[in-house]
Amino acid sequence: MHYDVIVIGMGLSGLMAAKTAVEAGKKVLIIGKGMGSLCLFSNTIDVLGKVPDGIEMNEGLSRWISGHPNHPYSKIGIEKIEEALSSFISLFPPPYSFQTVDNKNCLLPTGAGTLRPTYLIPTTMVGGISLPKENTLIVGFRGFKDFYAHHVADQLKCRGISLQLPYDSFRELSASALARLMERESFRETIGTEIKKQLHGETHVGFPAILGIHNSVQVKDGLEKITGATVYEIPILPPSIPGKRIFDRFKEWLIQKGVTFLLGNSVSNSILKGRRCEGIEVFRPPLISSYSADRYILATGRFVGGGLKANDERIFEPIFNLPLPQPESREGWFRKSFFSDLFHPIYQAGILTDSSFRPVDERGDHMLENVWVPGTILAHHHAIDEKSKEGIEIATGYAATIYALGT
Amino acid sequence: MKFRTETLIIGGGATGVGILRDLALRGIPSLLIEKGDFASGASGRNHGLLHSGGRYAVSDPEAARECIAENRILRKIARHCIEETDGFFVSLPEDGLDFRDRFLRACEEAEIPTSLLARDEALVLEPELNPDLLSAVKVPDGAIDPFTLILENARDAEEHGAKILLHTEITSLILDGDEVKGARGKDVIRGEEHTFEASYIVNATGAWANQFLRRAGLRIGIALSKGSMLITNQRLNHRVINHCRPPSDGDIVVPNHTVSILGTTSVRSEDVEDFEVTSQEVDLLIRQTSRMIPALREARLIRAYAGIRPLFMSEEKGDDRAISRGFVLIDHEERDRMKNLITITGGKLSSYRLMAEKTADLICKKMGRDTPCSTHLKPLPGANRPTGLKERLKRFSVDGGEVLCDCELVQRKEVEEFLGKEKLSDFQDILRRTRLAKGTCQGGFCVYRLFGMLHDLGMIERDSNKKLKAFLEERWKGIRPIAWGTALKEEELIESIYKGIFNL
Repeated sequence: MHYDVIVIGMGLSGLMAAKTAVEAGKKVLIIGKGMGSLCLFSNTIDVLGKVPDGIEMNEGLSRWISGHPNHPYSKIGIEKIEEALSSFISLFPPPYSFQTVDNKNCLLPTGAGTLRPTYLIPTTMVGGISLPKENTLIVGFRGFKDFYAHHVADQLKCRGISLQLPYDSFRELSASALARLMERESFRETIGTEIKKQLHGETHVGFPAILGIHNSVQVKDGLEKITGATVYEIPILPPSIPGKRIFDRFKEWLIQKGVTFLLGNSVSNSILKGRRCEGIEVFRPPLISSYSADRYILATGRFVGGGLKANDERIFEPIFNLPLPQPESREGWFRKSFFSDLFHPIYQAGILTDSSFRPVDERGDHMLENVWVPGTILAHHHAIDEKSKEGIEIATGYAATIYALGT
Repeated sequence: MKFRTETLIIGGGATGVGILRDLALRGIPSLLIEKGDFASGASGRNHGLLHSGGRYAVSDPEAARECIAENRILRKIARHCIEETDGFFVSLPEDGLDFRDRFLRACEEAEIPTSLLARDEALVLEPELNPDLLSAVKVPDGAIDPFTLILENARDAEEHGAKILLHTEITSLILDGDEVKGARGKDVIRGEEHTFEASYIVNATGAWANQFLRRAGLRIGIALSKGSMLITNQRLNHRVINHCRPPSDGDIVVPNHTVSILGTTSVRSEDVEDFEVTSQEVDLLIRQTSRMIPALREARLIRAYAGIRPLFMSEEKGDDRAISRGFVLIDHEERDRMKNLITITGGKLSSYRLMAEKTADLICKKMGRDTPCSTHLKPLPGANRPTGLKERLKRFSVDGGEVLCDCELVQRKEVEEFLGKEKLSDFQDILRRTRLAKGTCQGGFCVYRLFGMLHDLGMIERDSNKKLKAFLEERWKGIRPIAWGTALKEEELIESIYKGIFNL
């Protein structure tokens, strides 16, 4: 089968690339071996956590770009970053929509009881922003081991309760099982009534982010009606239910627009002819299937996503074997301190590209003429420290595809 | 508080706890103090090998004899701490067979039972072995769980009237001319100060021996030797696999529960507390051990760790491996005219009981008592308890609560039982007493859950994230040297959780 565009990777950058390509009327195939790190880490959309308090994101990004000329954001520019974010936001009409607080970062409570800066937040988390903390009750569930209300409450200096589940047979529950239970009205009724009994004047109730997979605003509203308090979700350990909501929405929309969606398959090989990619192979034992396209978007992420791999000597990119600047030896990959103020040098490892996201080597020479590379696999960012992961994915996924289609 | 005891033992490693039990069984009141938890030094940082003595047969026949004798005793008294795996000494083409023949003769002299297996026989039993091997010699090596061994010794000693203070360090010695009368100490967690009066003081601090003796103005000749080890994510061998050649780096792979432990190196160290495993050591260990088991070259590693061995130097020698791994018992009255002070150091885990016996004999002699030792006859309290996978699965029950540690299947109830049984002062103590954090993620998920549980129970201070960060920092020491391949993926996952989602 021949396509206009093949996107490799189903994280946020790959999904944005597929969206952008199909909106331009292209015939698109997206291949992913899994749901990407979207369903592990993404709850909200971080754009740049390093923006100082009180500064608007646009202003913050402009300053960042002038100070970091090689950063992926600097290749894109403010205007296209905004377009990309708008494109993302447009995919989530109310009720489950994404919004900012006055176009600035806001602080959201987390599953460790800390606060973290983030930019675009879903409707279900809005209630947790900048609370006077004593007004909030944190609710956890016995048998759900990835969130501990007392841990969170102790750090935030408010009250926490751990609820017994109404069903005796549920001794241990996963995040998705709990999220599905929350979608049942009778379950919400029992939980909500119990919470109302235990409220001592708190005006807000914080839950782990498991308030339903598909109709979470309805779940939130339902609980608010019963308890009379403002209900909000708190990001927790992976897997991320809010990340799955984002993934599911993209998937539904892309399939509806005619994108071919190949989930659960990893690309095993690329077929190159000179500087052109002529096709890719997907190994599904015992068969090898080949797919080809005019243009390829490599959005495979970093180590968790499988975009980068490392053996005991070096770091490499497994599909196209693209050149990769990296510290000289393994010893230099990481600092002695895990929480070092300086980022670990391994983050130097990443794909170099020209200003339109085509891969280049260290001299700036082009490697492949019909491959574009967006996402966290790129060099010159430290997404975890900068709190810029989703922003980079959305903006580069969008921009790289715009450039790819423009050629 | 003021304590008065007959014998004050300093150090909660295998030796100290062994002495405590030995004296308790002889009816001599004693008190043990340990500045951290049980087994926080070399006793808890080794490859968990129950020596057959084979490793020392050629180089140190005396140590070899000790080993095989103790091996036989421990199989009786500490059955539940031992997996009777047996061991192979494998000869590879580059080794030739000269050393193997010397090895066989030396084992015979030391009365270590051996049987010689041809290449094909060995490969049937250990399919991951290098198919080019020439032969394998079977010896009665085994795997031993040091932590259970030490806890059981401590439990039995306490049942016989001994006292133990953990997290308590010595601040000074009470000296009266050429006599040691006791010591002053401090609870490092609560800050409480103690005075200990004792007729005899035993320095069983292992690698810390000279740090302790400095308080009495004394010093002995020990060398500190760092031994580094690596843990794989899978168990690749059923038996202990030794390289049949003179002792050298990376010559052993010990099976342990669900993993294999690759060991060891020997590097002179100056510091007892602050040391790390270098990438050179990691590379060396993999290069050497994968000669015996080639799959180790590609195996996923989950942790690197090291321990500091105290080696006694009877004379100056160049190579630490030439120094005897035997132990040394010093009566400071004879050596330095300092009365009532005894130092026991050197040795190895497999001979902890013998070291304890000799120390207790010396104390009895000084006291003018002739109560004989009985630790070689009396099994540890749990020795009749059935062990093995079946037992572990039986304990894993539907009402055991959530599985806090998915890698090692530790349920909430198991942790709660420990919390109820012992007054644990530190979450690290819980980690040492359960399999929590010993699996693939190395505590990346389950320690967060442990903290959550402690908050539920109100057993940890409110601002606990500092401790969580400190744990992750400590965990990192073991991950950093082996962070490539799948381990690197895991590391990105953990970093994204704690620095990313949680913004710690």
